[in-house]
Amino acid sequence: MQKFLASALARGLAWQLGGWLVGAGMVTGIRLLMGLSPLGLFFFTEPAWVFGGFLGVLAFVAGSRIVDDWTKWAKGEQIPDHRDDPPGWGKYIGVSLDHKVIGIQYTITSLLLLVVGGSFALVFRTELSRSGMQFLSLQWYNTLMSLHGIGMIIGILLGVAGVMNYLVPMLIGAQDMAFPRLNAFSFWIAVPAVVLLLSSLALGGFDTGWTGYPPLSARGPVGTQMFFLGVFTAGWSSILGGLNLIATTLRLRARGMTAFRMPILVWAALATSLITLTATQLIGLSFQLVVFQRLFGMGFFDPAKGGNPVLFQHLFWFYSHPAVYVFVLPGLGVISELLPVFVRKPLYGYRWIAMSSLGIALVGFLVWAHHMFASGMNSYLQVPFMYSTLLVAVPTGVKFFSWVATVWKGKIDMPTPMLFVLGGIVVFLLGGLSGPPNATVATDLHLTDTYFIVGHFHDTIFGGYVFPFFAAIYYWFPKATGRRMDEKLGKLHFWLMTPSFLTLTLLMMRVGLLGMRRRIADYDPALGFDGYHLLMTIAGYLIALSVAIFLFNLFRSIKRGEKAEGNLWNSRSPEWQVSSPMPAHNFDEPIEVVGEPYDYGLAGSQYTRFVQAAQNKDLHS
Amino acid sequence: MRHFIIVGVFIALISPVIYLGIAANNVMPIQASLQALTVDWMWNVDAAAISFLFSLIMVPLIYSLVVFRRRKGDVGDAEHVEGSTRLEVTWTVVPLLVVSVFAYLGAYTLGETRIAAPDALGIGVTAMQWDWRFEYGEGFASNELHLPVNRQAVLRMQSLDVIHSFWVPEFRIKQDVVPGRVTEYRITPVRVGRYKVRCAEMCGVSHSYMERSVIVSSQADYDAWVLEQAAAAAALLAQGGPESGKAIVSQNGCLACHSIDGTALTGPTWRGLYGSSVELSDSSMVAADEAYLIESVANPAAKVVLGFQPGIMPQYSLTESQVNDVVAYLATLK
Amino acid sequence: MKLPDKASALQQGVIIFVFLAVLTALEFLIAVAIETIALLAVVAVMKVGLVAYYYMHIHKLGEDAGEDRHSVAYRTATSRLGLWLFLLSDSFVFGGLAVARFNLLGFTRPHLSQVLGLAVTSILLLSSFFMNRAEASMAHDDRKGFGIGMVVTLMLGIAFVAGVLGVEWPTAIAEGVSPSASAGGAIFFMMTGMHALHVITGLVLLGIVWRNGSRGLYSADRHWAVEAAAVYWHFVDVVWIFFYPALYLVGRVA
Repeated sequence: MQKFLASALARGLAWQLGGWLVGAGMVTGIRLLMGLSPLGLFFFTEPAWVFGGFLGVLAFVAGSRIVDDWTKWAKGEQIPDHRDDPPGWGKYIGVSLDHKVIGIQYTITSLLLLVVGGSFALVFRTELSRSGMQFLSLQWYNTLMSLHGIGMIIGILLGVAGVMNYLVPMLIGAQDMAFPRLNAFSFWIAVPAVVLLLSSLALGGFDTGWTGYPPLSARGPVGTQMFFLGVFTAGWSSILGGLNLIATTLRLRARGMTAFRMPILVWAALATSLITLTATQLIGLSFQLVVFQRLFGMGFFDPAKGGNPVLFQHLFWFYSHPAVYVFVLPGLGVISELLPVFVRKPLYGYRWIAMSSLGIALVGFLVWAHHMFASGMNSYLQVPFMYSTLLVAVPTGVKFFSWVATVWKGKIDMPTPMLFVLGGIVVFLLGGLSGPPNATVATDLHLTDTYFIVGHFHDTIFGGYVFPFFAAIYYWFPKATGRRMDEKLGKLHFWLMTPSFLTLTLLMMRVGLLGMRRRIADYDPALGFDGYHLLMTIAGYLIALSVAIFLFNLFRSIKRGEKAEGNLWNSRSPEWQVSSPMPAHNFDEPIEVVGEPYDYGLAGSQYTRFVQAAQNKDLHS
Repeated sequence: MRHFIIVGVFIALISPVIYLGIAANNVMPIQASLQALTVDWMWNVDAAAISFLFSLIMVPLIYSLVVFRRRKGDVGDAEHVEGSTRLEVTWTVVPLLVVSVFAYLGAYTLGETRIAAPDALGIGVTAMQWDWRFEYGEGFASNELHLPVNRQAVLRMQSLDVIHSFWVPEFRIKQDVVPGRVTEYRITPVRVGRYKVRCAEMCGVSHSYMERSVIVSSQADYDAWVLEQAAAAAALLAQGGPESGKAIVSQNGCLACHSIDGTALTGPTWRGLYGSSVELSDSSMVAADEAYLIESVANPAAKVVLGFQPGIMPQYSLTESQVNDVVAYLATLK
Repeated sequence: MKLPDKASALQQGVIIFVFLAVLTALEFLIAVAIETIALLAVVAVMKVGLVAYYYMHIHKLGEDAGEDRHSVAYRTATSRLGLWLFLLSDSFVFGGLAVARFNLLGFTRPHLSQVLGLAVTSILLLSSFFMNRAEASMAHDDRKGFGIGMVVTLMLGIAFVAGVLGVEWPTAIAEGVSPSASAGGAIFFMMTGMHALHVITGLVLLGIVWRNGSRGLYSADRHWAVEAAAVYWHFVDVVWIFFYPALYLVGRVA
């Protein structure tokens, strides 16, 4: 208990609460002095809550001491470069500089958000299983639906960060990331962000969905501001994490690891990081403008003041479209990384796959207005954005064709990680194929804002992130713990989740085509959707059950999984050439690259070797 | 080689099966507009491509998982095949060309849906939280959208508050309604019948229920309805008083926020409001007399009732006599 | 690309500053006389090029820092990359603000004081000159030159903030250009406000570096903090190189 209370987590949260109250108090005091009403609907006024929320984040940073080293540097003090963590679980709630610990911190937090966001979905899916309102108020429905969306999105960003932070240094033969303290900061800043997001539940909620369009978002309850602040804060995690990954990849690769000798997942991480570094600023800006419109009457999006509501959409989607590639590029990289291991054959067209990740990232910056075909934006913009959107199919197609060619004539094994890789391919295929009707303007004008879109993005997200995320955990769990997760439970997880999920999304697309709008709490029974909705809700519960099985398996296997301390999957990748769990400094003997990463089937070929051992061998030969 | 042949045959067989499966399943609502025909044609082209591409990937994948599964006792690696530049160029260039064709078809179909008929029937649409109002050229407004069949209508749409979206699934095309501008929506209904327009852009608490009827009828029936409505509106306007007020509040969406049965919705109930004593947000008490009620319509932000949010009620452009009629109506609500 | 001696380093700084001053004057004249945004954009890009190359030493990103990952040179080069990546990211905020400005105002501009605009712009450009001087001094172990340069830069930076927040803002409000009056006013205040926020954080960084420098923590061989603060400060100037014409020179008064 003592250990917990003294941890960065506990201190940070306590300070955040304190800072919040202090900030809110300050604004309330100023309002009193200015003769304005000091209190509001939720005790404090909105400006008090907002300033308090902001100060709370700063207080969290101060109280958790994540910037301690930097303040010491500023004062001119010397700090040791490395700092080893104490043994035991305490390091996971403290400020560790070890990318492996931080990767796990990210992953656990992301699983937490998955569970919370998923639970919200179960609640409102239960409400939706029958037409008419059963137990939720309209306001609660909108809030739970909105928090499901943004909760999952932040959860995905954290999960992506977890996978990349844990793996990239290992994959390139490095000891750690280029900026370990920045890495710690990037994780920890996400914690107060999540607190802000969830606080909206107590402050009236928000009904806009995760897209937060004004004018609606400029006039909703205080919870809307907490949503904006929470996302703004979480964005810092994404931006700085991306910065770190780019610098690490460019500067810390092992000797001999030229660009096209990097593991493919590193290419995916690089492409992803280019997006998170840059585009994220735009969601921060667009939300900031609405926050200021609400607080100070700055009419950016208020037509009465010459503002433009559609401007928000341009700024917002300029990030939020590339964001979806942040969600899926790492997972697609996991698929490319794992297939060769389980089919014992080179990754077909490795260079083209590497370039396709960059291609998707680049083209992904040019398509944002396909979310706005019905928005009233300039109509001459519709066709160019349709072209650019359809174009993304080309590099995506390269991936699919390459995966099939990799698997073709391989020698295939299908343990749980491989099942999730294959499931990811199938589900992402469905997601991708439901794309062109959305890209094409005429059909999109029927499909936009319906459940067809909801089905499309659930397929792409599950296929590009959720399935590969599970694959990555089942695959690299032994690397982190020296034990493996239970195979039978893993297969049960897969076979329960996959058909349920396919049912869910195919039904979503069906009702969407037939007229089911999205973000609605209730629907007309005359539409005949009741049966479909009941099935979708059941599917949702089955998915939740499968995730529960996974979580049980995960936590139980930490202490009781079957031991697996060597190269369990017989992979050529650098991290598997050292023991499991991964040594504290990754590679006590540095490695160098002497061959291609995926030369399975080429007798005598080697990808990496230990420099010391090679030198010894030379000395003695 | 035989692997390729088997796979090829399966792809050729399964693609049409999937396509027919999609087509036979009546995935689209009935086609009630000219634009629906174009949209559905494009959808079918997409569906054909989807069916083919799905088979193209899934068949060889599943085939491989079955045929190339590791045999018991076989511990070696597979053949060392790294790639083929020719194949990779092909599967980059061919999709690029296909994408170009689809983009062209997309541009073409978009143009088709946008064709402006010279004699289009102009109707004004006002979207508001949470109702629709339709203003007809003959000088009346209604909460029902009536359209003559086989004639293009051009709806000029504005919003009083937040972004809404006009959508009739049977018509296919939807168009957002944005405050501060007029967005245009052209549609040519081709099937007589009753439909529903439902808001398709999240617009707040009662977004789910923001719907009204759309009635497509023969030109003759439409003309008759118009005449009838215009006459009724003129009569009501001349008469004034509570009946006119009642029509005004139902057409302007007031009832979406103000109940007449005592329930507090987004706004205070009107039942028993007239002449009562009202507590405001600054805790002062005020009499809900005519002056107060008239001010509340003209300047909603001036006095906000305790327990309700400011800044929600929009500014209505009602004439003085219309406001008086509304107040007269309120006086009848005990 | 270390220059052979201190005198030529300082001289180069002066020459570049003169170029920047001339280009700024040219920019103002173009705006008054010709009203063409393309020319203004070209001048702005030229100014940015000069600052990025000669003051921010962007070419250092391409320098080879050897093979030893643990050497000071290698790690400084990594930190340099990190800083520039951060600036790349930050540019997107300002880019987004510029997009918003043109979307909301088109080719009109708010009614602002040209005298004030030129004044604060000159102050900021001058501060970049002195920052460059300070950094060049430290690169040649001239602690005194470093100290003077830093102090003048700090003072000019404070003058800029005072000029914008203390003089320009109240003046604009008095003219009717206020945050809550119109979208145009709102974007003016948001752009200048976000820029000023970066100036203020820059001043904090400069203060820290000045203090540590005067305590002898830096030398010609090891002064990454000085370089970092300088590059950040010049970046803030680069943003203003775009924002100044965008707010004061482009288009006609609304």
